[in-house]
Amino acid sequence: MSKWQTMRKRLKLNRPSRRRYARPPRQRTPVGMDFTAANLAVPLALQCCTDCGAVQYPPREVCANCLCGSLKWRPASGNGRVLASVTLHHSLWEFFKRRIGAAPWPVATIRLDCEVTVFAHVAAQTFDNTARRDIAAGTAVTVFSHSDCSRNAVLIAVAANTPIGTRAQRSAIAEQLGLTQPAEFTGGI
Amino acid sequence: MKDYSGVVIAAPISFGYAKQSPRGANWFIGNTLREMLRSAGLTKDDVDGLAISSFSLGADSAITLTQHFQMSPRWIAQLPYGGAAGLIALRRAARAIQAGDAEVIACVGGDGAAHRSFEGIAANFSNFTIDASFPYGAGGPNTAFSLITQHYMERFGATREDFARIALDQRYNANHYPAALLNHKPLSLEQYLSARRIAGPLHMFDCVMPCAGGEGFLMLSEERARHLSIPCCRILSAGELHNAHREDDVQLRGGWTEYADALYDAAGIGPKDIDILQTYDDYPVISMLQMEDLGFCAKGEGPAFVRDTDMRFDSSGPQERKLPHNTSGGQLSVGQAGSAAGYLGIVESIRQLTGQAGPNQVSGAHRAMVSGFGMINYDRGLCSAAAILGSAET
Ligand SMILES: [Zn+2]
Repeated sequence: MSKWQTMRKRLKLNRPSRRRYARPPRQRTPVGMDFTAANLAVPLALQCCTDCGAVQYPPREVCANCLCGSLKWRPASGNGRVLASVTLHHSLWEFFKRRIGAAPWPVATIRLDCEVTVFAHVAAQTFDNTARRDIAAGTAVTVFSHSDCSRNAVLIAVAANTPIGTRAQRSAIAEQLGLTQPAEFTGGI
Repeated sequence: MKDYSGVVIAAPISFGYAKQSPRGANWFIGNTLREMLRSAGLTKDDVDGLAISSFSLGADSAITLTQHFQMSPRWIAQLPYGGAAGLIALRRAARAIQAGDAEVIACVGGDGAAHRSFEGIAANFSNFTIDASFPYGAGGPNTAFSLITQHYMERFGATREDFARIALDQRYNANHYPAALLNHKPLSLEQYLSARRIAGPLHMFDCVMPCAGGEGFLMLSEERARHLSIPCCRILSAGELHNAHREDDVQLRGGWTEYADALYDAAGIGPKDIDILQTYDDYPVISMLQMEDLGFCAKGEGPAFVRDTDMRFDSSGPQERKLPHNTSGGQLSVGQAGSAAGYLGIVESIRQLTGQAGPNQVSGAHRAMVSGFGMINYDRGLCSAAAILGSAET
């Protein structure tokens, strides 16, 4: 079998583990895509109800409080506290499998001051006790959004008072997490 | 609430557990149904109601299965409620029989386990999952449960040794239940503690193994069952409540808290009168929540309760208090066959209460509490359901 045929067979089998570049999950629902679009211009935008004013997340088609269908994306404060924080040592997705191969992947649930609960990647390097991977419940954090390399906005949590005022500062944190570059497997196809 | 008199449950079947299988859900559901009918001495055409739960039907549904199996039910339900699916099927079917809408209802949960199919189910589980939880590390259900477990440990001081109590006694039970996928593997505390890390405080033996398989039971009128003279048991009480306690920041209780008392009142008994407890054990912490919320101990006392309770089917443990728990080994040791896992506790309870369990038979069991929990949409499980089942003598 020629090299070309071998490669074609591999592609047909479509094994992500053989791909040269692996990226985070790209799939989103229509309101998930709206979240990305609304977050391009600001550090954090969340859905607000035009009737009762409730802020909500995850994005929905209607207001979870009053069921009003008229929602607007508005800039929101990313301040909140950690509900629970863990590191993942196992993943179902090739991108994270490769990242976890280098170091466990930290994630947390965070309760924002605007009373929504978000999942977020944790920028562990911004916390004092970097030695301790699991950041204690109640720790004050700030959450902002940034595009990952599958071109979706994802949320990133940093220690409160970490400077994230400029796009460059936020990008540097996302880049350090490894979210902005695909995970590369040098022997891949 | 109206009682469940006049309705019985029979023909408990667990079918075809396998770690991986090229067969589809229809194969597992069809074969489970066949075994159910054979054990009850019925034919397809005797079944006039069909309740189906599955995650891997693909383009099929409960209604397309009627043609797949060439059946003509006059009552049908598709119940995609994960770990609560079996109990919800039981409640719906019981009411249909009482109302005369159907006489014999087959309730079946079944799923295949094609290569890498679990990834697809986890990635596309729901809109919230797609947009707001799966992109964060793609851990699947492990992520949300590791966060719930971490929070529970911080809040109530539970340790890994406490969770080991649940996993180890269940493995002992599975060692006596031939159909369990881990039947042949004993588990020691050392093995449990030194297992591979999966997510946060969760290690290998805290997580279920996704697999293929089917579980099913028949529900029929008492009269019909007597006519067939098949072993059966009764529903003493049952309840459900979904997305309860939605104001809690992190899940540490489920809807059971709101109806546990009503369940005991309707059955005329208390937690101490329960001979067997079957909880939905996708992770040990979830079993602990159910023990607390169903009144076996107070909130936060789950760790102390499992330390002091022998949960083996044969009461061979050193602890003084005895409560056979997940007597076939639960999903942690039998395997999680998708939606079938939501039927496992009921099917095992019917076997126990009718004396058909085999090597893992609990002696003198007359009342079983079965509990279900399911559907991690985002940060918590949404479904809760529970039932107290009684042997024919109760
Ligand atoms: Zn509103």
